Amino acid sequence: MTRLFERRLTPLDSPLAIFTTTTTAFLAAMLVTSFLFLSYGASPFQAYFALFHEPFATLRGFGYALVRASPLALIALGTIVSWRSGFMYLGFEGSFVIGAAATGWLALLTAPGSRVGPLPFFLFLPLAISLAFAAAGIWAGLVGLVRARLGGNEVLISLMSNYVAIFILQYLVSGPMRAPGSLPETPLFPRATWLPFILHGTRAHAGILIAIIAAGLVWMLLQKMPLGYEMIVTGFNPFAARYAGIDVGRRLVLAAFFAGGLGGLAGMVEVLGAQHRLMDGISGGVGFVGIIVALLARLNPLAVIPTAFLYGGMSVGADAMQRRASIPSSITFILESLAVLFVLAFDALRYYKVNLSVLWRRSPPPVAEQVSK
Amino acid sequence: MNGAQLLSSAFVVTWLSASLRLAGPVLLAALGETFAEQSGVLNVGIEGTILLGALASFLASYYTGMIWVSLLVAVLVGIVANIFLAWMYVTVRASQVVAGLVFNVLALGIASTIYRRAMGNSAVPESIAMFHPLHIRFLSDIPLIGPAIFGQTILFYLTLLLAFVAHFILYRTNFGLALRASGENPAAADSAGVSVYRMRYAGTLISGAAAGMAGGYLVLAQVGLFRESIVSGQGFIALGIVIFGRWNPLKAAVAAIVFGACDALQLSLQIFGTHVPPQLLLALPYVVTILAISGLFGGKAVQPAALMSPYAKD
Repeated sequence: MTRLFERRLTPLDSPLAIFTTTTTAFLAAMLVTSFLFLSYGASPFQAYFALFHEPFATLRGFGYALVRASPLALIALGTIVSWRSGFMYLGFEGSFVIGAAATGWLALLTAPGSRVGPLPFFLFLPLAISLAFAAAGIWAGLVGLVRARLGGNEVLISLMSNYVAIFILQYLVSGPMRAPGSLPETPLFPRATWLPFILHGTRAHAGILIAIIAAGLVWMLLQKMPLGYEMIVTGFNPFAARYAGIDVGRRLVLAAFFAGGLGGLAGMVEVLGAQHRLMDGISGGVGFVGIIVALLARLNPLAVIPTAFLYGGMSVGADAMQRRASIPSSITFILESLAVLFVLAFDALRYYKVNLSVLWRRSPPPVAEQVSK
Repeated sequence: MNGAQLLSSAFVVTWLSASLRLAGPVLLAALGETFAEQSGVLNVGIEGTILLGALASFLASYYTGMIWVSLLVAVLVGIVANIFLAWMYVTVRASQVVAGLVFNVLALGIASTIYRRAMGNSAVPESIAMFHPLHIRFLSDIPLIGPAIFGQTILFYLTLLLAFVAHFILYRTNFGLALRASGENPAAADSAGVSVYRMRYAGTLISGAAAGMAGGYLVLAQVGLFRESIVSGQGFIALGIVIFGRWNPLKAAVAAIVFGACDALQLSLQIFGTHVPPQLLLALPYVVTILAISGLFGGKAVQPAALMSPYAKD
C-alpha cells in the first residue's frame, strides 16, 4: 500500500533535492549552534547578526572574507579532484605548507640585494605558481605513488604527511630562513612579490581571482576533458576503469599531484596575498576546513566559490564576535562541522519519497500497488 | 665507570623509560581501534575522541581532584561521543573517513569552546591531580631497566593488561569471532545469525571508550594540563599502529613501543644536548609510521576485508 514515506531504490539526485537537503542541514546546524549562543547569554539572532554582518555587510569585512575564502576554495578544489578520482587525500595542511615554503624561498630569492635580485611581477607570478604547484604536487604525488605501487592506505599516510610538512616549515623558519629577531619567522617578502590588492580600502587580493580561474579549470577538467572523465571513472570503479584500458595507477598519481598542487597554490596565495612572510603555524587548520567546504559544495567545483566565501566570511564574523561579545570564535568550528555532518545524515532523506496524498485520501489505494511490499 | 659510560647508561635509562611512557596512550587508543576495524569500521574519529576525553578528565580532575573518577569520566565521554559516530557509520552509512574526519573538527570546536567557558581567558594553565609513577620494591631498584620498566604509572600496566584482554576477547570468545566475521564478511555473518549492526556499534563504542581513556591517560599521567594541541595526531598514529600491528592487539603493543621509542628519542637527545635540529626528531615518529604502513612491508592481505564498506541488510 502507499505509505507516507516510501523507500526509493536510488536517492533523488535532482539539483533541487540536493540544494534543499544541503540548505536544511545548514539551517539545522545553525539551530543547534543557537543553543550554544544562549548558554553565553547572547540572543541567537544577535549572535548570527554579528556573525554575518561584518563579512557580508561591511566593505572591510567583505575584503577579509575574500582573503579567507581564497585558500579555502583552492583546497576544496584539490579535494574535489582527488576524491572524485577515488583518492582520499587528506594532506592539505601539508601541501599548503610546502607550497607556502616554496613560494617563500622564491620570494626571498628575488629580494633586492640577494643572489637573483628583483624580477618583474609578470615573470615572478607564473614562476611562483609553477613552483608552488610542482613542489606541493610532488609532495602529494609521492603519497599517490605509494598507494598505486605498494597499496598503502592514502588516508593515513596523507594525514601523517601533514605533521612532517609542518615540522619542515618549523625547521626552515627557525633555522635557515629565519629573520634576525625574536620570533621564528622569515623576513618580510619584498613589496614587488605581493599579490595586488583588488578592492580599494580592503585587504582583498588577487588570490580570489586565481581561485575562480582554478575552479573554472577544474570544472573543465572533470566535465569536458577525456582525462577528467577517466579520472572520475577510476574513482567510481577502478576495476571497470582498468577493464576499459585506463591506467588506474597513473590516474591516481595524477589526481594526487593535482590535489597537492592546488593545496600548494592555496599556500602561495596565503603568503603572497595575506601574510607576506613565512611563520610557524601558518596553516592553522585551513587544510581541514577546505575539505569541509568541498563536502558542503557536494564536490562540485563551481559551488566551491560561494561555499568558500560563506565559510571564509563566517570565520571573519567569528573573530568580530569574539572581539565584541567575547563569544569564542571556536564556536564556528562547531557550526561548520555540524553542517557537514547533518548533510551526511540528511542525505539519507533523499532515499525516501513522500506521498502527501496519503494524508487526505482515506480509501485504500488501487490494486496495482501490490507489487511493492 | 668513566664519564662516557655513565652518560650513555643514563641516556638509555631515560630513553627506555620515556619510550614506554609515551607508548601508553597510543597503545590504548590502538587497542580500541582494533575492535572497530575488526568489526569493519575505520574510526578516524578517535583523534577527536581522545581530545574530548582529555578535556573531560582534565575538568573532572580540576573540580573533584579524584583521578580514578576523572579517568572514568573520560571513558564515559568517549562512549557517548562515539554513539553519535557509530550512528553515522552504521545506521546512516555515511562515508567513514568523511564522518570521522569532520567529527574531529567538531570535537576541536567543542573542546576549545568548553575549555574557554570553564577556565575563562586566564593564560596560566591550572595544575591538577595526576597519577604518579609506581615504585615497586626490589624490581624498580634493578639498575638500568628497573626504573624504566617497573617505574611507570599504574595506567601503563593496566594498558598492557588490556592488550592481553583484548587479544583474548578477539580470538578466544564468541563475541570476538562474531565481531571479526562482521568485518571480514558481513553478509555471511548476517546469515549465520550475527547482528552486523550490533557488532559494528559494539566495535565503535569500544574504540570510543578506549580513545576517551587514552585522552585521560594523556592528561592524568603525562601532561597534567589541557591544551588544544595536546593530541597532535596521536589518534592518527594509533590508526597507523593498528595497521603496523596487523590488527592484532599484542603486535600493536610492540608497534606502539617502537613508536614510543622514536618519540622519546627527541626528548632524551634534547636533555643531553645534541646538535640535531629538534624538528627532525619530532618528525621521526610520523615518518616511521608512514614507512610502517606504506605497504613496503606487506600487510594489505590481512586487513579486514569489509573495512570501510558500510553494510546494508536487504
